[in-house]
Amino acid sequence: MPVGQPEFPEFADNPEPRCPVVLLLDASGSMSGEPINELNQGINAFWQSVKQDALATLRVEVAVVKFGPVRLVQDFGTIVQTKPPKLEAESDTPLGAAIEYALDLLETRKESYKASSIQYYRPWIFLVTDGAPTDDWQNAATRVRQAETDRKHLFFAVGVEGADMDTLKQIAPSQRPPLMLKGLDFKSMFEWLSASMKRVSASRVGTEEQISLPPVGWGEIQT
Amino acid sequence: MGWKAILRSSIGTSHQQREMLCQDYGNYEIFDQVLVAAIADGAGSAKYADIGAKLAADTAILHLRKLYLRWFKRQKHQKHRFPENLHLDISEHNLEEILGAKVRKIFQKTLKKIIISLEKYAVEAGYSLNDLASTLLVFVATEQWIAAMQIGDGFIVIGVPEKSPEKNYQILFQPDKGEFVNETTFVTSENALNQMQVCFFSGSQSFICAATDGLERVAIITRANWIPYPPFFQPLEKYIQETNNPEEEDTYILAFLNSERLNAKTDDDKTLFLCFFDRPSEAKSTESSFLDCLKLAKQKFL
Repeated sequence: MPVGQPEFPEFADNPEPRCPVVLLLDASGSMSGEPINELNQGINAFWQSVKQDALATLRVEVAVVKFGPVRLVQDFGTIVQTKPPKLEAESDTPLGAAIEYALDLLETRKESYKASSIQYYRPWIFLVTDGAPTDDWQNAATRVRQAETDRKHLFFAVGVEGADMDTLKQIAPSQRPPLMLKGLDFKSMFEWLSASMKRVSASRVGTEEQISLPPVGWGEIQT
Repeated sequence: MGWKAILRSSIGTSHQQREMLCQDYGNYEIFDQVLVAAIADGAGSAKYADIGAKLAADTAILHLRKLYLRWFKRQKHQKHRFPENLHLDISEHNLEEILGAKVRKIFQKTLKKIIISLEKYAVEAGYSLNDLASTLLVFVATEQWIAAMQIGDGFIVIGVPEKSPEKNYQILFQPDKGEFVNETTFVTSENALNQMQVCFFSGSQSFICAATDGLERVAIITRANWIPYPPFFQPLEKYIQETNNPEEEDTYILAFLNSERLNAKTDDDKTLFLCFFDRPSEAKSTESSFLDCLKLAKQKFL
């Protein structure tokens, strides 16, 4: 800087805005063997992929909820604050309880953001299941759809082979029907999720529109 | 004596990587002692955001210039028309209210003109209106008052000389964010007219700084209700105050906008506008009375 020029401006120290995502993963007995192994590798790929983006590393906050039983295996944290969990297949498919748990978890997280004056992006809930709910899921579906209408979150449902797609259709918001995973390509699915989070965490949109997401090569909509 | 100003935009690193154009645009004009500035930040989601931003900002300036020239002409012919139009018993308080309402009307009309221009362009080019989405900041300032509007995010900050050193910068509007940090309102949004924030601020500010949201997070303390961070603004004020021809002496501003330090904090396009009103040293003190300011403001606007 030439002599006589003022110093450069100093920067306000603001917390990074956060981009919360809940991975809501089916680890019921039917997932045992190859499916759970592929799922675990997919989760790892998600962590690795987000880490490649400087901004997403600071902003994306991930929590992992498995079912059943419904358990928080990784609480919210940025990619460097957290570790990809290794899931083991066990028990039944309490999908309704799992969804309600995830919705409550998100609300609590938002409250803590607000309390610390941390700005945040619209949260995502990303559900993956290979079965049919073994509990009452109607209330969960109502809450998912209401919150989606109120623009509180974005809910994505993915069925793995064997999933009860008809029930998933009734849970997922009508404008975003559930996708059927092609084979066990969890890796591509999580890479897509990571790419989407990168777009979200660097985006700005009007209050009436949505971010255009990368094309989904790993799944298809069943009619 | 009078206004001096500089405006520079710098493309964000994320846009550079994706070989996108800079979607920020700003422009300003100074006629007599009046400064008009407009800054627009094209929406990343809009296809032709760069065109929309330019059209919105330029149309705002064009419209306000016309208004000014019309007013100036009328002043010449009907020198004494204005004071008789006003009730003499209005208090200072509702005077400011009346002016606020007047200012709102002017900016509403400006916005309507902008939307008409955008619609016309969209039809001719075969675009949708949303392809031209951008935010918009516009202000008109004299040495004694500033009238401003804002749709969407970004900020206008003014120096307030009479306040204590810690609080000598004031933000005119809170950036318009929804619950979610990346959601804002654009000129093309259906609710733009309702969401438009307008203010009239009388005071003898010399320094005004406006910027797009690329600079928000380094200049404003977001967690404390959007308070300007003085160590960000002080060097900029010093620079513009001490530089005689800022548009020609822009090394400092360009070096700052393109600095790695700044790019580490934001990957977005950044536009920075600075202006300063040079007062002659023997001029009256900065404490001009509130009523003086209002009188001047009335003349300009009514």
